Amino acid sequence: MKIAVLSCIHGNLEALETVLNDIEAQGCDRIICLGDLVGYGPYPNEVVDRIRSLDIPTVQGCWDEDIVEGLNACECSYPSLLAEKRGLRAHEWTNQVVRDDVREYLAQLPLSLRVSLREGNLCFVHGSPNSQHEYLMPELDSFIALERVLSSQADVLFCGHTHIPYVRSLDDANISISVKQIHPKSSQSTPIKQSLSTPIKRLVNAGSVGEPRHGRPNATYVIYDSQNEAVGLREIPYDYKKTCAAIIEQGLPKIFAWRLSQGLEFAEQADDPQHLCQR
Amino acid sequence: MTDLFLESSHWAILSGIEGNLTAYKAVLDDIYQQAIPVDAMYILGDVVGLHPQCSELLAQLRSPQSGELTPQICSGWWEEQCLNLHGLGPDPQGLALKEQYGDEVFEILYKAVPREDVEWLRSLDFGFLELDNLLIHGSTVSCDDELTPDTSPSVLLDRLIRADANQLFCGRSGFAFEYCFESGNIASKVTTLEGKETPISQSLKPRKVVGVGSVGRTPNQAHYCLYFPNTNNVEFRSISY
Repeated sequence: MKIAVLSCIHGNLEALETVLNDIEAQGCDRIICLGDLVGYGPYPNEVVDRIRSLDIPTVQGCWDEDIVEGLNACECSYPSLLAEKRGLRAHEWTNQVVRDDVREYLAQLPLSLRVSLREGNLCFVHGSPNSQHEYLMPELDSFIALERVLSSQADVLFCGHTHIPYVRSLDDANISISVKQIHPKSSQSTPIKQSLSTPIKRLVNAGSVGEPRHGRPNATYVIYDSQNEAVGLREIPYDYKKTCAAIIEQGLPKIFAWRLSQGLEFAEQADDPQHLCQR
Repeated sequence: MTDLFLESSHWAILSGIEGNLTAYKAVLDDIYQQAIPVDAMYILGDVVGLHPQCSELLAQLRSPQSGELTPQICSGWWEEQCLNLHGLGPDPQGLALKEQYGDEVFEILYKAVPREDVEWLRSLDFGFLELDNLLIHGSTVSCDDELTPDTSPSVLLDRLIRADANQLFCGRSGFAFEYCFESGNIASKVTTLEGKETPISQSLKPRKVVGVGSVGRTPNQAHYCLYFPNTNNVEFRSISY
């Protein structure tokens, strides 16, 4: 079974349609979406309509949550203060244009999805199993990366949110532990030695369909082949200039069009890329 | 210089007094009887609770007698419930308190903590980073984060790494335990869109999570711990009173 995993479409219908065409051309059997259907881009309603028309299982992203609940940003929702200021303007615009039924759809999205296959368990989240707002960066501490995958009880954890695709394989994890517990009636106890080892786990970031930040304007997504457990990172060119023009026509900040055309915005560089959400 | 400082350092770390002044006094007596004098005392939250001695305890904590140690106190789960009752916490309806203890404790807790002490509770720190130790009620995730000897090692390690601490002292569970990560390693690899593969080999340095026990939760039996920063040794104390 080939599963296409996409994330962070951000109201970019042109990118979504191109990616859907590529998914079909690649012969994928299923599509799963990791959220952030709205925000930044000019077509939030249309993107949601398209996802719904294809009945694509989708988890709720941080932008989807914010449009439903009102802004729920903590310091790690945006990678920098400048990005936060721009994000607020995008939020205001998106909040004004989304239809009620779209808001209702976004409200009922689950925070995680699971797929159990003979080849292993897969879990799908937007940011991390802890929070839609947590960035799991490629250089994340190995032990924390392992914890996130283990907490999802999956062999492969798919996430998005960073807009940069990668595959992190975690092999040969071994931890030696000594545990001493004091019983209520005594202050003496003998430590018990334990060891933990885990089979190979993987963390896969699907990148971003509609607002890439890997340095090029192309859309990115991933294909997981359950037969050989291979992960393919896909980069798909599309007519991003159409989306850029629509961003300007809709009255969204012009900087979003420029950023989209670059596949990067310097203000989007995380002040602290290792920051972990404390929620 | 650092070694000279650490050599003489001896900490008492306690949690969960829960208003039980008698238990706290028993612990203080034990602390003052130590052959190596204790020079710092940390209380990791839950100083208040449903115990009728709550207001007397607060008076003693806020105004230690001359010559007594002045405890460094951080906020705990019961402090958060108290602030909630006064509309000052994140759960003004007290849903967590109701779920765990029922409706009847609202009035008891409200009366147990004098209004003038509420602002003081509000001023307590969330935790302390002292040397390479995090001293906190739950963890940096929340004061409700209950770490026990049965918590998954990956979760405990996550809590240490999040705080960038080598030792995490906590009190939320009430258990007294020492959970030591002695060694560990992970070989991993990151593959990027360009196909570049970067191997990452990471080792684990020794770290530990310490549950300091509870002073006031178990009748007639108080638990706390002593810590020697110079040797990184923890000694658990069990006091009958």
